[in-house]
Amino acid sequence: MTDTWPYLDVHQSRTHEPTPYEYRLAATLEQVFAQEGHELADVVRGLNARAVHTADGTPWTEESFRAEMNRLGD
Amino acid sequence: MTLSSTATADRIYATGLRNQWHPVVPSRFVAPGAMRKVTALGEQWLLFRRSDGTLSMLADRCPHRGAPLSLGRHLGDRVACWYHGVEVGTDGTVTSVPGLPGCNLEGKKLVTSLPVREVGGAVLAWFGDEEHPEPAELTLPDPLTDPAVDAFLCYAEWEVPWRYAVENLLDPMHGAFLHHESHTMFAGDTTAKFRIRETDRGYFFEKTDQRGVNFDWVELCRTGVDWVDLSIPYPPSAGPGGPFGIVGMVCPVDEQRSGVFFWRYRRVEDWQRASWRFLYKTLIEERHWEVLEQDRVMLEAMPADADQRENLYQHDLGVVRLRRLYRAEAEAQSSAGA
Ligand code: FES
Ligand SMILES: [Fe+2]
Repeated sequence: MTDTWPYLDVHQSRTHEPTPYEYRLAATLEQVFAQEGHELADVVRGLNARAVHTADGTPWTEESFRAEMNRLGD
Repeated sequence: MTLSSTATADRIYATGLRNQWHPVVPSRFVAPGAMRKVTALGEQWLLFRRSDGTLSMLADRCPHRGAPLSLGRHLGDRVACWYHGVEVGTDGTVTSVPGLPGCNLEGKKLVTSLPVREVGGAVLAWFGDEEHPEPAELTLPDPLTDPAVDAFLCYAEWEVPWRYAVENLLDPMHGAFLHHESHTMFAGDTTAKFRIRETDRGYFFEKTDQRGVNFDWVELCRTGVDWVDLSIPYPPSAGPGGPFGIVGMVCPVDEQRSGVFFWRYRRVEDWQRASWRFLYKTLIEERHWEVLEQDRVMLEAMPADADQRENLYQHDLGVVRLRRLYRAEAEAQSSAGA
């Protein structure tokens, strides 16, 4: 924690620099929200259609997406 | 060194209104078992946190000969001045004078200790003057207490008088110009008609002909602490949950400087909440920061006498109202001590 004035820190909510996987997932998620809709089913379908899969390479399900968001959004 | 009730109205207007709560710094600036020197309302203070998390705020001035306590040592439940070792407890009482045990300073409460509360990740303190040491009631901003609302605090330090930082928030029309190149405020008319609408805690300053498109309204709330509430639309890429809101507060640091506190909040739950938080941390926070930097660059470049030589128009009613309010309060606070 710096004591010097002024404190101007772009990132105050992060606990770590996002991984390439996280950046890619976030960018695709924005695209999906913009193009497919805001329902959970839209999101899961949109991510899978773009072949942006879970960290272990399997297609998303509503359950796995929910769990991953809870992990990453915390 | 408590805030003097004989300060002039000009000094109070320049360094912040007394007898109310103000934000000071984010809570995370003072780790358990640590201390931190801060400036607020033109005075030096020491934030002191015990290892169990309990926070206190003392005037940063040793009762012996005035050395800064912030240069001293954290002793768990008290601070020892570096100069001659005098020890001061977290309520401002001298607990020990090591050089002269039994000295009559011991047991006396000689250092001002401000009441503090921690809210949404920020330290708030009661800045009473000599005649008002007891805190008035504090009603917290509802978006920060509503469980259906999720918020991130963004804190920044600006080389700007506190009033300019608050006035900027009571000036929604700048959104359509200053923030035109941004991810959230690119839309909306560049002309508008505004009105003031009174509430029981302050007033709304709002467009009469547009809502939900740009930064279209703001509510000033005076609930023991001064804060604003406003709402700005998100593009569809930000997902479900609708617009994001901002609770804004300003710490008057000194005549030239401010600490600005912005809680970006959204009404979201469950997976929608989690996905917003994920996007916020990964991509959105940085975009919000760019918008905030536009404000900082503009406000820091304003001349010191900006509010002395103006030609205001209808869009500035919210600012005019704010100034009148703050000016009157500064006058009242200065004459109260006379
Ligand atoms: S000035 Fe602090 S102990 Fe003397
Ligand atoms: Fe702005």
